[in-house]
Amino acid sequence: MIHFDNLSKRYPGGFEALKSINLHMDAGELAFLTGHSGAGKSTLLKLLMLLERPSSGALLINGKNVNRLANYKIPSYRRQLGVVFQDHQLLMDRSVFDNVALPLQVAGHPRKEMSRRVRAALDGVGLLSKERHSPMMLSGGEQQRVGIARAVVHKPRILLADEPTGNLDPALSAEIMALFRRFQDVGVTVLIATHDIDLINRMNCRIIRLEQGMVADNGGGYGSAI
Amino acid sequence: MAQPSNSGARRGAVGSKVGLIGRFRAMIGHHVHTFRDSLLRLFKEPLQTIMTSAVIAIALSLPATLLLAVDNARQFESNFESFSQITAYVQNDASPKQITTIKNQLEAMPEVASVTYVSPDQALQEFTAVSGLGSALEHLEVNPLPPVFIVEPKIEAPLGQDQAQQLLEQISQVTKIDDAQVDMLWLQRLRGLTQIGQKIVLALGAALGLGVLVIVGNSIRLAIHSRREEIIVVKLVGGTDAYVRRPFLYSGMLIGLIGALGAAFILLVGFWWLGSSVEHLSGLYNSQYRLLGPGFKGCLALIGAGATLGLCGSWLAVGRHLKDIKPR
Repeated sequence: MIHFDNLSKRYPGGFEALKSINLHMDAGELAFLTGHSGAGKSTLLKLLMLLERPSSGALLINGKNVNRLANYKIPSYRRQLGVVFQDHQLLMDRSVFDNVALPLQVAGHPRKEMSRRVRAALDGVGLLSKERHSPMMLSGGEQQRVGIARAVVHKPRILLADEPTGNLDPALSAEIMALFRRFQDVGVTVLIATHDIDLINRMNCRIIRLEQGMVADNGGGYGSAI
Repeated sequence: MAQPSNSGARRGAVGSKVGLIGRFRAMIGHHVHTFRDSLLRLFKEPLQTIMTSAVIAIALSLPATLLLAVDNARQFESNFESFSQITAYVQNDASPKQITTIKNQLEAMPEVASVTYVSPDQALQEFTAVSGLGSALEHLEVNPLPPVFIVEPKIEAPLGQDQAQQLLEQISQVTKIDDAQVDMLWLQRLRGLTQIGQKIVLALGAALGLGVLVIVGNSIRLAIHSRREEIIVVKLVGGTDAYVRRPFLYSGMLIGLIGALGAAFILLVGFWWLGSSVEHLSGLYNSQYRLLGPGFKGCLALIGAGATLGLCGSWLAVGRHLKDIKPR
């Protein structure tokens, strides 16, 4: 599903954020991406979201090299992804419902189908009763769950999460991880960037550890594909 | 959670159950939603909206007023072109019998409505009364004025320039008629003036149209800036550039439209205010002349021009400023 082939990213100015990365994730796999700050985690996620382009090497998504994807095709590529952001990236002037509906709205879904899917997604994260609320009225954990609902409402094949449990207590973190597990169970490829070691240890999943832009550990955890 | 599908990701087909019609309806729905949202946003910041629209209204009403003035001058011209009187001067030595013959001849012409004879004595009396040179004229030994016929062309068949020229020649060829004249010189001067006026309208319209583009562009630039976060999120979840652009284009068009409505209002009020005075004045001249208003079509054209300018202005601004906003 996701395949990095000898991929490097060098920023203008000479800083090499990623060096010859070789990675593979199967469809329906869940993996943690870990490493110190500056190890290249966010660069890797940015490359997957096509926010950055690699300097060399290939990034194959579902067997297709997306490096040379034309700019106008980027929006439709991003609709295959669901992304959970560390800082939620919710729009505070819209209701929870409208926030979650956004990916469907930009893809041009009819209203009726949109509300059905948004309600299903909100139900999945246990926030159906708060669809009319503003995200500002919600707690940090609830906001994060709204972000997750938005990331999965359009049934993406790949789910990326950047520090999804960043400032949540352990109980909430476990709850959110259980959510990710459920998406994995239905065949979504899930990649979670985090340095929450406790969480990783509890989950028994494949761990990809980056160190200074290189893959230091690939696999390791229980149930890994490689 | 159902089996994940890729249908939402491909261009064209979204969701296996959504047909072309459903997609089209969703698109229309989205446009209506975006339009309403843009309109509501304008009302949320009434002061900003009113100020921008007022500037646009003034910028649009200036060339529109001038255009209307030129149109009125042309209407005025055409009034005179068709109803102008012809003065036929008879040679001083014509006998009363000859004068009767000339009168009959003139009246027999098909283009002529009426012929009025003004004898030299009558003309002198009138001239004495009007000019105020009474006592000076009394010293004249001989009346220098020729007998004159005032010829009114038929109103039912308004005469163009060529026909008027033909009639003039016809009249001059009548025996004992010295000369026939239509005082067209002032009309030609007026025409020259209206031509200059038209050019000024064009130049002013172009300059102020450009001004409207800049005004709308600037307010859209501010709107883009204040909605930066939203734009980033929309781009992150796969919104196309067209999707991001749309609300700003609607906003620009609406600002232009509201400004144009204001301009139309200014024009109509000005027309109403001036109209009664002009009517009074033309009544004093025994004229049927009425001020020409912008009319329904004119107002519609003005509003259309405002909306188009607004759309173009926001298009330019969006093209320039959206590129700067990249999700990080």
